[in-house]
Amino acid sequence: MSGKIAIVGAGPSGCFLAQALLKAAPGLEVDLIDRLPVPYGLVRYGVAADHQGTKAVSRQFARVFERQGAQFFGNVTLGADVTLETLRAAYDAVVLAAGLSQDRPLAIPGGDLPGVHGAGTLTRALYDHPDACALPDLGPRPLIVGNGNVAIDLLRLLAKTPEEMTGSDLGAGPGEWLAGSGIEEITITGRSPAAQAKFDTVMIKELAKLAGVSIRVIGAGASDDPVEQKKIEAVQALDGIATGPRRITFRFGLTPLAVEGETSAEAVRFATDQDEEVLSCSSVLTAIGFGPAGDLPRDALLADARDAEAGALAPGLYATGWFRRGPRGTIPENRADAQALAARILDDLKSDPDKPGRAILADLAEAVDYTGWTRIDAHETEAAPEGRCRAKIATRAEMLRRARQEERPK
Amino acid sequence: MKITILYGTETGNAEMLAEDIQAELEGENEVDCLNLSDMSPSDFDASRFFLLVCSTYGDGDLPASAQPFAEAMNAEKPDLSAIHFAIFGLGDSEYDETFNHGPKKLAELMLAHGARQIGERVAHDASGDDMAEDLAFPWAEEVIAQAGEALGEAA
Repeated sequence: MSGKIAIVGAGPSGCFLAQALLKAAPGLEVDLIDRLPVPYGLVRYGVAADHQGTKAVSRQFARVFERQGAQFFGNVTLGADVTLETLRAAYDAVVLAAGLSQDRPLAIPGGDLPGVHGAGTLTRALYDHPDACALPDLGPRPLIVGNGNVAIDLLRLLAKTPEEMTGSDLGAGPGEWLAGSGIEEITITGRSPAAQAKFDTVMIKELAKLAGVSIRVIGAGASDDPVEQKKIEAVQALDGIATGPRRITFRFGLTPLAVEGETSAEAVRFATDQDEEVLSCSSVLTAIGFGPAGDLPRDALLADARDAEAGALAPGLYATGWFRRGPRGTIPENRADAQALAARILDDLKSDPDKPGRAILADLAEAVDYTGWTRIDAHETEAAPEGRCRAKIATRAEMLRRARQEERPK
Repeated sequence: MKITILYGTETGNAEMLAEDIQAELEGENEVDCLNLSDMSPSDFDASRFFLLVCSTYGDGDLPASAQPFAEAMNAEKPDLSAIHFAIFGLGDSEYDETFNHGPKKLAELMLAHGARQIGERVAHDASGDDMAEDLAFPWAEEVIAQAGEALGEAA
């Protein structure tokens, strides 16, 4: 089968889709377009620096380019370098796999005070994303709103001692920032009871290994449901762990009403099931979901979709992963989603040999191809200092420079 | 030797390794590679050697593609006493409490129905320094050598 397919977003969803398409139809031309000069999206910038085992999935993605023949067009921004309309005219099918990168705002009074930081914004800075802002001072007592897996990642990273980051790809700057954070106490709050908390049990169990913390779990509650009981037991098992001075407190059933503070966040007022409670803090970290970056009219596209559940937006236009489903589900769910969509696309596909496909991207002088990424990757791996598996390049300019630089004979 | 590689996968890593093992063993052997989700307990064939490749997911659970197989095994209770298998596990020691529990459960399921295990269960650690295939290829060679004797005796 022949056909030209462009996938916008070279993160896990896009890569799994390309993998599934090319496995079923090796003759397709599949192009992965990303606004960053580097591929793999959330595997590089969302999976925690100390979860290298999870990042091993990128070995599969490398093969999509190296063996299955997909092409990478990095540093290509939709809207600026090429429009969606142009892509749709040039390819038989276009798939939006752009993810959801913006933190959902804490829409309560004071939610925009200085000292309120989104988890995505913070982790992008921690993981050396080229578009990240500087790492902020969180003060001695950050409070986390939300207790899904993103919140647990953030909690774990903030709680770890420098020694516990051995083997990670945490950069030098973020490493110094963490080591010098001066954090004394982290409070993590969720709206629901522990029984319905959004974290995965395995993420909670991992916290039992933390080397420098004293953990309290308040109000985990009870349940008759076996699945809920596992959640409660896992978090309850953390209560009383005392391996070091950094205090961690788990709280449940707290719905944030307002962030209080004169010039910056000093406390959060919550509704409890009986009353209200105010918890003081030195900063507020929100981990309450993600929304679209705003460069694509996601809401309108989904609202007008032919079959939103299947990811079919319009003739020749599709969506997959978080961009389609919303910010829920881990890497394997996006794989299943991508495999289902691949079948749908192949079913629908009507190849038009007159479509130019990737030829329309040929004039983009600043685009980074897969070879360029392998140069960046090789440099980052070789430059890894003691105790790190990689030293990420943190700026676009340096990425582009490395991408263009041929390896010199040693 | 006639070999069937069966993989249980969630992220696709075990599938990739299974395909690598297939490519490595082909030529000298006749090798099939099948997702456990497509394997029925009645399809076990005593003339073949079964290489199982399985990951762990969630809280020490079988990966998604192995779960329907496990349910079918429990429902159909096949007699696998003439079946020989070996098993290679994928896991992540970051989650040490449940490390490689998926393949452990799958091995126990096979043994519970009488199947005979060849060699030890080998576990790859995604947080370790080894590539999975660097452990899996020598493992496959080793268990195939051992299975040659066992399957020869059975024949």
